[in-house]
Amino acid sequence: MLGQRLLPWDYGVRNLFRRPSRSALTLGGLTIVVLLVLVVVGFIRGLEKSLSATGNPNVVLVYALSSAADIENSSIPGRTPSLLAASVDGVRRQYGVEYVSPELYLGTRITTANMTEPGMGLVRGVTTTAPLVRGQVQIVEGTWPQAGEVMVGRLAHSKLGADKEDLAIGEQVTFDGRTWTVSGHFTAAGSAFESEIWAPLAELQITLKRQDLSLVAVNMDSPERVADVDLFCRERIDLELKAVSESVYYASLQKHYKPVRMLGWVVVALVAGSGIFAGLNTMYGAVVGRIRELATLQALGFRRRAILLTLVQEATLLACAGALVACLVGLVLVDGSAVRFTMGAFMLSVDSVGIAVACSVAALLGIVGALPPAVKAMRLPVVEAIKSI
Amino acid sequence: MKSCHRLSALALLCLPIVIGCGSAGESSATAARTPAVSIDGSKFLLSEEPDGAVGVITAREEAEDGMPLVMVGRIGGSDKPWIEGRAAFMVLDASMNVVAEGEDSVDGEICTGDCCATERLACTALVKVIDSEGQLIAVDSRQLLGVKEADMVVVEGRAQKDKSGNFVMLANRLFIRR
Repeated sequence: MLGQRLLPWDYGVRNLFRRPSRSALTLGGLTIVVLLVLVVVGFIRGLEKSLSATGNPNVVLVYALSSAADIENSSIPGRTPSLLAASVDGVRRQYGVEYVSPELYLGTRITTANMTEPGMGLVRGVTTTAPLVRGQVQIVEGTWPQAGEVMVGRLAHSKLGADKEDLAIGEQVTFDGRTWTVSGHFTAAGSAFESEIWAPLAELQITLKRQDLSLVAVNMDSPERVADVDLFCRERIDLELKAVSESVYYASLQKHYKPVRMLGWVVVALVAGSGIFAGLNTMYGAVVGRIRELATLQALGFRRRAILLTLVQEATLLACAGALVACLVGLVLVDGSAVRFTMGAFMLSVDSVGIAVACSVAALLGIVGALPPAVKAMRLPVVEAIKSI
Repeated sequence: MKSCHRLSALALLCLPIVIGCGSAGESSATAARTPAVSIDGSKFLLSEEPDGAVGVITAREEAEDGMPLVMVGRIGGSDKPWIEGRAAFMVLDASMNVVAEGEDSVDGEICTGDCCATERLACTALVKVIDSEGQLIAVDSRQLLGVKEADMVVVEGRAQKDKSGNFVMLANRLFIRR
């Protein structure tokens, strides 16, 4: 019964091709709006993923109490790793090896062969226990660094502002007055480690003339055992240590970046809002030019509701097509693009959430953009509308 | 005309497929879980306040290792006074007040930030609730004892002190002033 009252599906589709230039322009506008939404959501999602992927609930970070959670400023005695392993129960062990990673972490100016100005990079001095604690780290090319060598994360070039080729295996980087040869590349499941350069701890300590450490990362048997390290640090106040679960540490960084993420969502809302206004403008133009046609349809016996639905159908089809194009462009060009930020670098992520948001915005543009002009056109009396030019 | 119809239908059909693609959202990292309470906490609570309680600052200065001690203090002195999943918490001397990080403080006030970390050490103490075998109870003190931040507690037990100045209150029982 309802089907008899509706206009044919083809009618709305045909109308889109009857005015190809207008349809193409509207499609282009809608595609750009959806693509912008996709980029901003990709930025937010990439940042969130990078920080959440870095935190492992089994890993606890031990650093100086006075460092204000800034690991770069932390300085703890070199004996801390052995002290922790000996004093705390629940430290993961396998084949006699304790999963305790002493690390020296610093931000420093780094120069590659083709860079005229040094870029700010992140360097981590590590031992061979680091991959035991940082389980997500995988060497994808080359070898573990030996004396005078470094291993670079896959986003380290973005953090430095250098070309990817500058950090190819065998290339050289210079920092803190010493030249290092790149021995390998690693990935870390999208975590913040991917923007770092890893050097052998002992070599880095010699270069920096330091004997202390920035932090100790300890892999515990279970997340519950993290409390035992916290307890140890609060009991041994003479050591002036602080223990924080790695997941909690990076969750606190996420809070730090909350204003950025909020700003991102505001941009999404603004872009979507401007897109709706653009859509309204286009649809007003499209509907005003068809008042006689719409009135004729009414005279033929089609209900206003059916005509309204056809107009919404046209706009929604166009918006959905724009969403498809934008998603394809986003997946090909935007997804995986590296972005620099203070903590390193991360990749824009066009994932299911981003696509869902983009498509929702497109659907909203189609429906909300078409309704007001269609309602306005429908309000005109049929006789007056048929006479209108 | 048919091709137009097909194209538009295809576009609409593809939309949910595209939405459905992509990796599933990764679960956010979780903090340490607290095991369910299986120990009766009431046996660690006193119905009457014990006599002869000393403040945290006095206890830190005068208590000797292994000696019986009754200490009074307010739960706090840190942005996170609790040890997650353990019957242990920080107490602050009753004469001290805590202000938010970044706020101006006068005598008798400390903030929870790292700027006051050294000052806090002198007026705070770790309290560990232990069982009859001297083992720390692996249940969060909030669940075991029903205590909350800023509660004034009188703790009965013995002092644990070493030459480096580390002081821990090993509590057998405690009284909550309410």
